[in-house]
Amino acid sequence: MTMEAIVVNNLTKHFRKAYDKTLKGYFISLIKREKRYKEFTALNDVSFSIKKGESFAIIGKNGAGKSTLFKTLSGIIYPDSGDIQINGKVAPLIELGAGLSRDLTGAENIRLNCAIFGLDKERIEEVYPKIVEFSELEEFIHTPVKFYSSGMKARLGFSIAIHIDADIILIDEVLAVGDKDFKKKCYAKMEELRDSGKTLVIVSHSLKPLRKICDRALILERGKVVEIGEINEMIDKYQDEKKEKKAKKNKKGA
Amino acid sequence: MFADIMKYKELLYFLVHKEVRIRYRNSFFGFFWTLLEPLGLMVIYTIVFSLILNVDDSAKGQNIDHYFLYVLSGLIPWTFFNNSMKKGTKALSGSSSLIKKVYFPREIFPVTMLLSNLVNFIPAFALVIAVALIVGQPIYWDQLALLPAFILLQSVFILGLAFLVSVLNVFYRDVEFITNLLLRGWMYLCPIIYPISFVTESNNAMIQQFEWLYFLNPMAVIISLYHGILYQGQTAPLEYVGYSIGITLLVFIIGWVVFKRLNRRVGEVI
Repeated sequence: MTMEAIVVNNLTKHFRKAYDKTLKGYFISLIKREKRYKEFTALNDVSFSIKKGESFAIIGKNGAGKSTLFKTLSGIIYPDSGDIQINGKVAPLIELGAGLSRDLTGAENIRLNCAIFGLDKERIEEVYPKIVEFSELEEFIHTPVKFYSSGMKARLGFSIAIHIDADIILIDEVLAVGDKDFKKKCYAKMEELRDSGKTLVIVSHSLKPLRKICDRALILERGKVVEIGEINEMIDKYQDEKKEKKAKKNKKGA
Repeated sequence: MFADIMKYKELLYFLVHKEVRIRYRNSFFGFFWTLLEPLGLMVIYTIVFSLILNVDDSAKGQNIDHYFLYVLSGLIPWTFFNNSMKKGTKALSGSSSLIKKVYFPREIFPVTMLLSNLVNFIPAFALVIAVALIVGQPIYWDQLALLPAFILLQSVFILGLAFLVSVLNVFYRDVEFITNLLLRGWMYLCPIIYPISFVTESNNAMIQQFEWLYFLNPMAVIISLYHGILYQGQTAPLEYVGYSIGITLLVFIIGWVVFKRLNRRVGEVI
């Protein structure tokens, strides 16, 4: 048995900004002999590893490549180079209401998502009541998800993700919504999951709760790893940097 | 591929079930539209081609009794193909919310599309047999016994093309419009409103000369196989049946390879 849950080596991902996503656009740019796409490096030589049972945070500004990193980890996007080893089942919770189908009811969405993660029928029936209970959506469970508020969607998404028997849970910004009580409940659940030996990878803007949940953190800036280390150290560093930049800006302004 | 799909059979069942249920949601006749749609088309084509254009009369010489039944027996497999291709182009681009958020084998989407259309097609084809029994058209049971094989051949052909168009449509939405246009013309290149003997037993020198070209279209051959259940001499020559099986496998392999190759970038483009 390996000790690592996730090993990422020299991961690089370029995005092409298509100028025009039609055949017409393609031929026009072909005739004009212009470059058909602009390249943009979202991830640049990213390497890190996460141990089993560890809680790992990824912090960085908007556009630093956090979401791209998450999407490559969950298999939605293929990297251009480098490799990712994942030992165990991954439950990605990307953005709010990840993987929820708007026209389906909450109940149908629970079944659909469980099936997506490969749970069989009996197992789905087993976890279904637990998911409903945790989400506190009993009243609205037979309402199509399109009528849900963003907080309700986040609750449903989070409840599903923690009940699908995954070994590794990826959580991206989801907890920005939802009321205070539910947030508290989520953090408590995350701690519980961590203590039960699951691996958590969290991207969040609210840094405060991360100190409690996570063991280590990675600072990402413009697709590059700045530093990896102990959580409190990293958060302090990140915040100091921010303050420094702000101070510099203010100086310039003055 | 099949191992992957078996692993996700629960998901496949769920998606097919959802697809079939959503299709006729909020419609008064519900599932009956599966039968009403081809019946309605049958009435239209019979009026136009039998009463107005008199294809019926010249078909009499080619031994086509119950022209409307002939139209229906070709129209239903065609509708299966037509609807599958239309849905097929959107199989991936219509599921972007799922594709962007979670990973699972994306070949599930074209397969779901095929299966949900198959659920509609089979009762519709049973209708053809029922109508044939009612009007007293002889049924060739040895051909009817081969019906599962015909359906399989058509399904593989559809799936191969669906792999191709679904993934291409993610990159170029034009594929959707091109497919819809091609389907229009394609229908007239299949023996649906005219008997196949118009081509195989024609006195017109030009048609004789280009007969082989006509049968390069595997859908013409596949439709003719369905006709053979009710009408003798309406099946394409055997060598073309063999050719169609070959081309179907080729289309399937090409579709699969292209799908696998382009699939890598679907997550970021969609």
